[in-house]
Amino acid sequence: MALDFSIILRFQEALALGLWTTVKLTLICVVLGCSLGFFIGLARTSRSTLLRAVSSVYVEFFRGTPVLVQLFWIFFCLPLILGVELSNLTSGVIALTLYMGAITSETFRASLKSIGPEQLDACVALGLPRRVQVTNVILPQAVLRAIPTLLSNCVSLFKESALVSAVGMADLMFVGQNISNNTARPIEVLTVVALIYFLIAFPLTRAVTLVERRVLAKLAI
Amino acid sequence: MTMSFSAPLVKIQSLHKSYGPHIQVLKGLDIEMKPGERVVVIGPSGGGKSTLLRVMMGLEKIDSGSISFGGKPYISSESADRKTEIDTEVRRSIGMVFQHYTLFPHLSVIQNLILAPCKVRGESRASATKRAQALLERFGLGAKANAYPAQLSGGQKQRVAIARALMLDPKLMLFDEVTSALDPELVAEVEQVILQLAAQSMPMMIVTHDMWFAKNIASRVIFCAGGVVVEDGPPEQVLGAPKEERTRDFIDRVFHIRH
Repeated sequence: MALDFSIILRFQEALALGLWTTVKLTLICVVLGCSLGFFIGLARTSRSTLLRAVSSVYVEFFRGTPVLVQLFWIFFCLPLILGVELSNLTSGVIALTLYMGAITSETFRASLKSIGPEQLDACVALGLPRRVQVTNVILPQAVLRAIPTLLSNCVSLFKESALVSAVGMADLMFVGQNISNNTARPIEVLTVVALIYFLIAFPLTRAVTLVERRVLAKLAI
Repeated sequence: MTMSFSAPLVKIQSLHKSYGPHIQVLKGLDIEMKPGERVVVIGPSGGGKSTLLRVMMGLEKIDSGSISFGGKPYISSESADRKTEIDTEVRRSIGMVFQHYTLFPHLSVIQNLILAPCKVRGESRASATKRAQALLERFGLGAKANAYPAQLSGGQKQRVAIARALMLDPKLMLFDEVTSALDPELVAEVEQVILQLAAQSMPMMIVTHDMWFAKNIASRVIFCAGGVVVEDGPPEQVLGAPKEERTRDFIDRVFHIRH
């Protein structure tokens, strides 16, 4: 069987559009998901039993079920329950944000927990008001410590985002699948699609190591 | 703060503190500290020395008793509801340095120093930075202003921690085993800084296991064991010729042979 990768060139615009959709979706869900995850992380370390219980159920549920099932449930079941139509972009954003929120909340929770009580002792000894303790001492350290894992979380989200093709969203995977079906050239097309995902994800995973070595080693946190 | 010569700087009355229902750490401590005194607290581990300092800084709740500073009670607890009342304004006159440096790792040395003056006292960045730089120069750390704590040796970190506490112009300094975590060759540089403060008659209370240092810096030594003051007197007495048998045993053990 002769491989002909030149057919990819004919579809480069479609693929670029698909990639743009994937990147856009990932970026939206990274921002929304990380923000949600931060507050859920706080809720899970909160003194309120109710907040702890609700946030724990959410996190465990979303970590313990396949993202594809979550996506299908939001795409097919949620509109029935709410009585409103959800576009595939909306349901994709909701599903991936909830997924990202659940995994990053664990990242934030671990980083908050890793800040020792002696840091708070120092805050008290310096007479820092509670607001300054949180915004100038605890938060920056928690975020810095969370960065490497958050980057890994982002890479996971970027890869998992391919699932939205299953609800008909025209992302990179969806476009690739279509081209592959229409041209009967799955090897060429799907290999290139895989390569595109890899070329974006790989530098990000390397960045994790870089951040760990450069930034965190310098601060030893 | 104005006070008559004889008025105590710190007055600790009948201080009780326990961790949980069974562990009583302080069992009715009474200590008076005069202005200008340098009190070194010695004693076996678990005797309540560090807890005493932490309570004075308002880091621990107490069961009952009270502490006054400059004539003003700032920590007290009524035995009825056991709620510890802390006057944070008075507490700001006290600075504390801990065994494990507790510098903020994400801030540079200079940022560590100016955070509290800027945020607590509303001092301008420029003025705080100027004072911080001068203090760092004085402690031989002028070149380290922009370094991060992780780039410093233990001794340097501890000197930065002392400078950070001094930025708030404390009227009393508490030192909690500040050289215990240091490599032996770094102990002297930190002790020098504290001796320098002593020479400027900064009142201080020091918990230490270093008897050489205790002897050199103390104007008064308190031997604390089992949550009470066992012996209290000038260093020549408590370290050199203790009256109490428990003090004698302890001194013999730490010095190996009594000097």
